[in-house]
Parts: sequence; C-alpha cells; structure tokens
Amino acid sequence: MLQCIFLLSDSGEVMLEKQLTGHRVDRSICDWFWEQAISQGDSFKLQPVIASPTHYLFQVVREGITFLACTQVEMPPLMAIEFLCRVADVLSDYLGGLNEDVIKDNFVIVYELLDEMIDNGFPLTTEPNILREMIAQPNIVSKVLSVVTGNSSNVSETLPGATASCVPWRTSDPKYANNEVYVDLVEEMDATINRDGVLVKCEIYGEVQVNSHLSGLPDLTLSFANPSILDDVRFHPCVRFRPWESHQILSFVPPDGQFKLMSYRVKKLKSTPIYVKPQLTSDAGTCRVNVMVGIRNDPGKTIDSITIQFKLPPCILSADLTSNHGTVNILTNKTCSWSIGRIPKDKAPSMSGTFVLETGLERLHVFPTFQVSFRIMGVALSGLQIDKLDLKNLPNRPYKGFRALTRAGEFEVRS
Amino acid sequence: MAPPAQSQRSSSPSQPSGKGEVSDLKSQLRQLAGSRAPGVDDSKRDLFKKVISYMTIGIDVSVVFGEMVMCSATSDIVLKKMCYLYVGNYAKVNPDLALLTINFLQRDCKDADPMIRGLALRSLCSLRVANLVEYLVGPLGLGLKDNSSYVRIVAVMGVLKLYHISASTCVDADFPQTLKHLMLNDSDTQVVANCLTALQEIWSAEASTSEEASREREALLSKPVVYYFLNRIREFSEWAQCLVLDLAAKYVPSDNNEIFDIMNLLEDRLQHANGAVVLATIKLFLQLTLSMADVHQQVYERIKAPLLTLVSSGSPEQSYAVLSHLHLLVMRAPYIFSSDYKHFYCQYNEPSYVKKLKLEMLTAVANESNTYEIVTELCEYAANVDIPIARESIRAVGKIALQQYDVNAIVDRLLQFLEMEKDYVTAEALVLVKDLLRKYPQWSQDCIAVVGNISSKNVQEPKAKAALIWMLGEYSQEMHDAPYILESLIENWDEEHSAGVRLHLLTAVMKCFFKRPPETQKALGAALAAGLADFHQDVHDRALFYYRVLQHNVSVAERVVNPPKQAVSVFADTQSSEIKDRIFDEFNSLSVVYQKPSYMFTDKEHRGPFEFSDELGNLSIGAESAAGTVVPAHRVEANDKDLLLSTSEKEEIRGPSNNGSAYSAPSYDGSAVSAASQALSELTILNPSVPGLTPQSNLAIDDLLGLGLPEIPSPAPAPSPPLLTLNSKAVLDPGTFQQKWRQLPISLSQVYS
Repeated sequence: MLQCIFLLSDSGEVMLEKQLTGHRVDRSICDWFWEQAISQGDSFKLQPVIASPTHYLFQVVREGITFLACTQVEMPPLMAIEFLCRVADVLSDYLGGLNEDVIKDNFVIVYELLDEMIDNGFPLTTEPNILREMIAQPNIVSKVLSVVTGNSSNVSETLPGATASCVPWRTSDPKYANNEVYVDLVEEMDATINRDGVLVKCEIYGEVQVNSHLSGLPDLTLSFANPSILDDVRFHPCVRFRPWESHQILSFVPPDGQFKLMSYRVKKLKSTPIYVKPQLTSDAGTCRVNVMVGIRNDPGKTIDSITIQFKLPPCILSADLTSNHGTVNILTNKTCSWSIGRIPKDKAPSMSGTFVLETGLERLHVFPTFQVSFRIMGVALSGLQIDKLDLKNLPNRPYKGFRALTRAGEFEVRS
Repeated sequence: MAPPAQSQRSSSPSQPSGKGEVSDLKSQLRQLAGSRAPGVDDSKRDLFKKVISYMTIGIDVSVVFGEMVMCSATSDIVLKKMCYLYVGNYAKVNPDLALLTINFLQRDCKDADPMIRGLALRSLCSLRVANLVEYLVGPLGLGLKDNSSYVRIVAVMGVLKLYHISASTCVDADFPQTLKHLMLNDSDTQVVANCLTALQEIWSAEASTSEEASREREALLSKPVVYYFLNRIREFSEWAQCLVLDLAAKYVPSDNNEIFDIMNLLEDRLQHANGAVVLATIKLFLQLTLSMADVHQQVYERIKAPLLTLVSSGSPEQSYAVLSHLHLLVMRAPYIFSSDYKHFYCQYNEPSYVKKLKLEMLTAVANESNTYEIVTELCEYAANVDIPIARESIRAVGKIALQQYDVNAIVDRLLQFLEMEKDYVTAEALVLVKDLLRKYPQWSQDCIAVVGNISSKNVQEPKAKAALIWMLGEYSQEMHDAPYILESLIENWDEEHSAGVRLHLLTAVMKCFFKRPPETQKALGAALAAGLADFHQDVHDRALFYYRVLQHNVSVAERVVNPPKQAVSVFADTQSSEIKDRIFDEFNSLSVVYQKPSYMFTDKEHRGPFEFSDELGNLSIGAESAAGTVVPAHRVEANDKDLLLSTSEKEEIRGPSNNGSAYSAPSYDGSAVSAASQALSELTILNPSVPGLTPQSNLAIDDLLGLGLPEIPSPAPAPSPPLLTLNSKAVLDPGTFQQKWRQLPISLSQVYS
C-alpha cells in the first residue's frame, strides 16, 4: 500500500505531490531522498528501494524525472516499482514525452491520471486504453477541437464502457473506416565477447508489437513457423493461454492501438552479425589501440547505424584516435564514440591511435569495454518467423502488415 | 501533518514569494465566485490552476479555502476535480472550513453523471475530518448500491477510508457486512477486489477486539472464498490479481490434490506481462510446495525461465527487484541455477548494486562443471573501472576457491592477480591467498614463491598487510627474506596505525623466531619492546604475554604461539539458515530486497519517526555497512550479559550482516586463538606467573585465555575449546558465535571499519 507519490525534477524540486492515504507523508522526505541521491553522485546510482528514517521509498527515474513512492508497511517491492513504471509510461504516452516543463504545464492532467490509477494506495487501472477514455489526451487535436466546439473540458462526457466490459483492455466499440493491423517483431541482441574474443553470452530479447485499428470486437490468431525456438514467453493479458499451451498459437482480442502482445527470449545464439576486434598493447607509458569492425555473419540485409562507444579509463591522460571510415569523437566525459554507419564494401573499417597514460604508469591495467550498437531492418535475428495472422469477426477485409527489426541491446566487447 | 510549509524550500526567483500573490488570487476568486457571466469557467480554471500549482510547489494557499469553495458551484468537471484536489489537501487542517464543502460534495454525490458521483464520493471520503463522518455514512451507503460500477469501486474504498477515520461509525453502519455481500455477488471484478482489500484490512484490525471479526477473517481464507477468487482470477485487473494471489498464498490446502489443482489453475500467470503478478504467483507456488521436496524442486525449474526473463526484459529498477528475489532462490538452491550462470554475468552499464548481487550469485552457482568459465569471467572484472566491483570479483574468485575441491586453476588466477601490480588487486588477492593457505596448506609452495616477490611497501591496506604479515610468520621457513622484511616493518612500528596489523606483527615475529632464531632475535626484541610501549591495550597485553611466556619456557611458548595447525575445513557462514528461511517465507516483500527478515525493520516501525532513525539509516545503506560493525558500544555491553544464552531474537537482530563473508572471519589472529586452546593445560600451570591474564581485565582476548583457568568464574562466551573448532555441540551455533565474537568491544573492530 503506497502512501504518497512525488514527482521530482532533475534538480530535486518537488513538481507534484499526491497523498494517497490518511497518513500524510511530509514533503521533507524528498529533501532526505535528494541528499542521498547527491551523496551517491547521481540519483541513477541509488537503489530503487531505499529505507529512509521514516518510510520505505521506491524510486524510478525516467528522462531525468524521479518518481518517488513512499510506504510504511511491508508490500511487494516489485508491485510498487512496476506501478511507478506504468505511471511513467502512461504519463509519457499522454504528454508525448517526459520532461520537467511538460509535467509542470500539464500537472492537472497528471493529478487526474493519478487519481484514476491509484486509490487509497492500491493500484486500480493502469490500462492506457481505459484511462484515455476517462481523461482526454492534451494533444493538438483536442485543443483544436475545444476551440471549434467551445467545449474546453478535457474529460470525456461518458464513463468508459470498458470498466464494465468483459474485455477490460478494449474500448467498447471503436469504428474505423480503414481496418488495419500491423505486427512488428522487434528484437534486441545482447552479447558479451570476452577479452580472448570468445562469445561468452549471446541471446535475444524480442517483442511482438501490434498496432491494431480494427472495428468492433475482432478475434485474432497469430501463429509462428518455428515457435519451438522460444525459450520463455510473456503475454499481454489479452492472450488466451490454452491455445498457446496446446498449439503455440496466439489467440486474442486486441486492445485498440499500439500494444506489446508478447515478449520472448531466445538463448544460446551461436554468432553475431558483426565482429569488433579491439587490440591494446601498452609500453612505456603509451598504449596503442586498434579496433577492427567487419561483417561476420551476413544477415542478408544491410546493417546500419553501427556505432562503437567506450569510456576511456581514468588513468588515460589523452587519446589520439583516427579511423579510416566514419567519425571518431571524444566527449568531455571521456566517452569515445566512433560512428561507422554502414560497413563499406571495399574495406573493413578500423580505428587506431594511441593513449597517453598517467605519468608513472607503464602499462594499462584497466581496460575499456566497447559497446556496440547497430540496427538491421527486415530481419529478426533469432530466426523467429510469423506464419500467418487470421482475423475473425470483422465486417470487411483488413490490411495486414508485417515488419521485423533487430538492434543491438547490451552488446559489449571487452578488451 | 501540517501542510507543506513555505519555509521548507528556499524559493527560487521563478517561484512566487507567496503572500502577495496569494492575496491577489483571493480577491480575484472572490470576484468570480458569484459571477455567472459566460466564459467565467475559463477564468476560474486559470485561477484554480494557479492555486494548485502554488500548492504543488509547497506554498500554503489554505487562506483561499473559503473562496475556492464558493467558486466550486460549477458544472465543469475539470474545475470540480481541481477543487476536490484542493479541498482534499487542506480540509484536515481547516476542519471548520471543510464543513463548507460538505454541502456541495453531497450534492455532487447525487449528480446524474456517474463520474461526478464517483469523484465527489472519493473526495468526500478523502476529507478525513473526524467530526464530519456523520455526513459520510449516507452517501457511502448509496454509493455501495449505485448502479454504476465506477461509483461502487470508489464507495468500497470509501468505506475503508471511513474505517480509518472512525472505526466505530463504519462498523455501526454495518458496512463490513455490506462489503462482504458485494464481494461475493458483484459483477464488476474491481468492486470485488476492492472489497477484498477493504475487508482484509478492516477485519484484521478488528480481530483483536471482536470475535466475530476474527471469524470473518478466517472465513476469507476458507476454501469456498479462495476458490471463488481463484476461479475468476483472469477477469481481475493485473493489480487485483496480485491481491488474489496474495490471499491464496495464505490459504492452507487440505491435501496434495488441491495443491496441484491450484498450481494448474495458475500456471499461466507465470507468463503474465506484469512482473508483480509473476512474482506473486511464484511466491504462491513456493509456499504451496514447501512440504513436498520433489515438487518444490520442479517448481524451481518451472519458475527459472520466467524469472530470468523478467530480469532481462524490464527497466533497471524492475530488474533489481526481481534480481533480489532471484538472489534469494539462487542462494537456497544454487545447483538448480548452475547451468544458467551466464545470466549472472555483469554488463558494463549496470549499476554497481546490481553487479554486486550478480557476483554473489555467480559465486553461489559455481560447481565443478562451470567453475572454469565463471572464474575466467570474474577475472575479467578485476580489470573493471569500477574499483569496488573489481575488489568484489576478486573476493568472489577466492570464495569459489574455498568452496571447490579442485582449486588448481584458481590458484594460478589468484597468483596472476598478485602480479597485476595494482594496489587494490594485490591487497584483495593477498587476503585471499592467506585464506586459501589456511584451507589448502598444500599450495603453500606455489603461493609463497609469488608472495615473496611482493614488496611490503606496496601493501598499505591493513587487511592486506595483516595477511602478508601472517604469511611471513607462518612460512618464514620458506621465505628467505622473512625475518628481514619483518624487521623493517618493526622499524616502522610507530607509523603503523592499525592495531590489528601490529598484533599480527607481534605474532609473526614470534613464529619467525621459533623457526629462525638467530636471524630474528633482534627483530623480536625490538617488537616486544615496541609492543610493551604501545598505547593500545591489546597490543601491549599481547607483547607482555609473549614476553612472559618466553621468559618462562621457550618451548612452551612455541607450543602456545606456533602449534601445528589443522587446515580449516569450512569458513563460517555469516547468515544463519534460520534467518534465510525467514526471508524465504517472506518472498515477494521488502525483506528480500534488504536481505533481512521483516521483523528486523518493521517492528520498530510504529515507535515514532525518529527513535529508530539510526538503525534504519544503517539498514538503508544495506550491503555497505554490516550490522555488526555499527553496533554502538552500549548495545554491545548490554549484549554481553546474555552471551551465554542460546539464540534469542535479540541476538539475531544484530546477527546477520550481508557483507560479512568468510574473509573477515580470520582477520583476528587465528594463531593466537588456536594457540590458546591447544595450550590450555600449560596455561593452567602458568597462571600464577602470568599477570597479563588477570580476570579483572575484561578484554576479550584475555577472557578467552582466561577461560581455561578453572578457578576463575568464566565471564566469556561459550565453552572455549569447542568454540574454536566450531563443533556442533556448542551452546551457540557457530554463526552466532562468530557474530558475538566480532562484536566484543576490542580494538580489532578497527580491522573491519
């Protein structure tokens, strides 16, 4: 049971305070929290669950905004954190992003949302579709509409039908002139390559994202060509469990709009699409660096937005780096970023140069970790393939679209 | 309880300074209050927004209360919401003015629009003014019967709020029974879920005074009610599902078939998108199968994948919460996770508290088949930029070495650390090599060759220095320079700030003396002289003791100081298994994150805000500050009195510390202690001639030695010889004893700080 929620700006200012129970939480708790955050260097480093002298605090940081919840009683920590994450998601969805200004400009809406999302410390509704029906979004359309119609209320006149509906995630009866549904496979590859160049860990975290604009109460079935490769799956509440258990078929009545139908994990992949080979040799106070990048396993589509980032170890005084392709930047916080883009056909991109070490240091002892990012459109690297999507309960033939995308998640190469 | 005071936050230039603006607002609101001109709502809305934004940034705007209420006569729902918000915030401090709002709230409770009815009812119940409760009963009763589910949802929560304001009013109006009826009959699942929440709270609170309430509370856990909820669980919202799962976790099924039924029914909840639901389900499964060992194992296998997915899919905050639970399970059943060790590899970007948990799990899951990979991975972290993590990973390598049988490769790794020439790496590695040698004396040849090359000048940390000195003393035969290194260390006696190191130095030079007397004699003399002149009581006493023993008989002294040693087989675990079980019982709660059972932090909860601030503050630092090291002196003394009692709860409170680890255990001088036990017979004879051991001294080291003296009533902990061999018949279990031992008020505590 949460007692209070605060929203703090990135300078520790209380932007919003929502008391949830009779036990009022004094604002001074935020000062205490902020002191802790400052003493830790920055609030990101603070643990998500902290005990203050008077309360237990849960914190979630999004785009510099800290969502802080307080409680004095034992409760599942994940429930509080999960709820705060939902609050952050809903707000960012409503306000078109999160930052200090947008929250201050729309604080009334934030209050209204919190009012519906949690009552007396217990989470109520966090389903964006239902909230959207209760509290109108402050977007341009509604602003224009309010000017035209003269109705300036941002609260819809009617109560959401879905609160009483048996499909709580779906608005009662949406109508579209063009029925369309898009299914995206979005995958992230997490890989760790160790100092010896061995791929120690490589797995894919993927999501099936659906954007549905369908009239009425459609019933969808989605099947995969090779569901057996999935290691673990999690579903949106709309997915029926039995069909999946018996035939690995996703059968569901979709919410309206964009949502995450399913997330999955594929373990133990054998190779990565690109290789990154760093070499560091140090001698007499300088360190020679050479990083080579190339395609290892051609996925069949272009790999683009390749960037290599690494943080220079603190013992390095200066770095001089050049590349034969792309641009190298060294930022003030000692982060070095090499953006390659696409790998050219005729040559393998490489970056080389020297580090000058602190005086007194002969050799480098602390080695940088290279973080690689890339993006491949049109391919799901796990190999997961959508077999077909059937739609029932629809008046006319809808448009169906499929896409796939793989990008690097936590892809790191140690040196 | 006061509204946020103005002075709490220094007002920045962008913020209005208060007074002037507020009185401005007051007059503007007053003008608008009676107006019925078109467009008045828009200007009201701007003013309301201003008021609320002042309230939000912490300016006291309670003075406009009257005006706000006057302006509240409107049909605009946003205006209403802002007004409700304002009223809810200030009613409690202005109970008289709050009366003004009752009227319009009650009117709104009868509005045609269910949304307004609901909102008004919610605000009415949120006023929380004790003398207004009589106005609540009517609207609440109507709200519970409202045909809009939205209003009923609000009304049920309202009953709970009313209960907290005035329990008797709530019970007299027979609301609990109405809720019970609603809970079992309402068509809307959110209403049902809210009823469950409210009833659980009300009946738990009433149970102590009313027999009926405690019966009702039992009834909530009866089979029909639990099954009623479980069968409908899919219709509930995700948060309500957590609630139902929590209820089911308290239910005790009558037989195994029932357990399987429940688990089959709920298996799909493990694949829910909401992590809170997944974790609540896992808790239920673990609880249900506690008595069935084999099924319990299968549950572990089944929940492994969902947990690992939760860790990798969510935001860093979610991963942390899940990881803490995973940590608990891994520690309970490491072998089940041993093939998933790669999931515990640290990512570069992770915050260090996550890395720390992962390192502990990597250590736990290491077994014969994966040790090589894990140690290779851990060694890479030693070159990490994050120094605490680098240290932690070296310690992890050492821990693995201590729990494995085949340590061949690990020893090589550790020795490589020593050659890395990085201060902190060397320091950690030295401590580890020392522990390793205590367990595997057969490795001494290899280790000593490398340790011998380390210049003592490069070792500054007390712990590491003590370890190096211990090895110099223990293996002075094999290390050519040992006497000379010790000698140079003794020359710098005055610059050695750590008493622990000086104690070690004394003992080491003694041992060295027995092995290579001619080379060490000079150093020994210097050390004893320096020790006797030392201002630190322990150092002084030990020097005196050595001196007298030597004086008495050198061969007895050798048997006291340097007896043949047995290899240590197991280093004591810092957290007792009882505590671990307690935490496990509280799965899916804060206890898991803090790695402490809840009674350790929640019991102090209601004592008042600041009485326990110190302790709680320490809890919050969690892993960093071991409970043992921060115990204030007076508490230690108090505790000394019950040292001989078996484990009482009080002891456990200060017992566990999560950074304890095996490494701090041998930090006090093991040789001196073991010497004491083995030479007890001599000591009894020696007693009259050893004034350093007079019983009136309450220093722990003396207590320990004094234990063997039959004529002295022993004030010290536990029977002495068993405590050193940690045999199972000890009065205190070894973990508790070690805790106590560390908390004794001796200088050695400096070693840990």
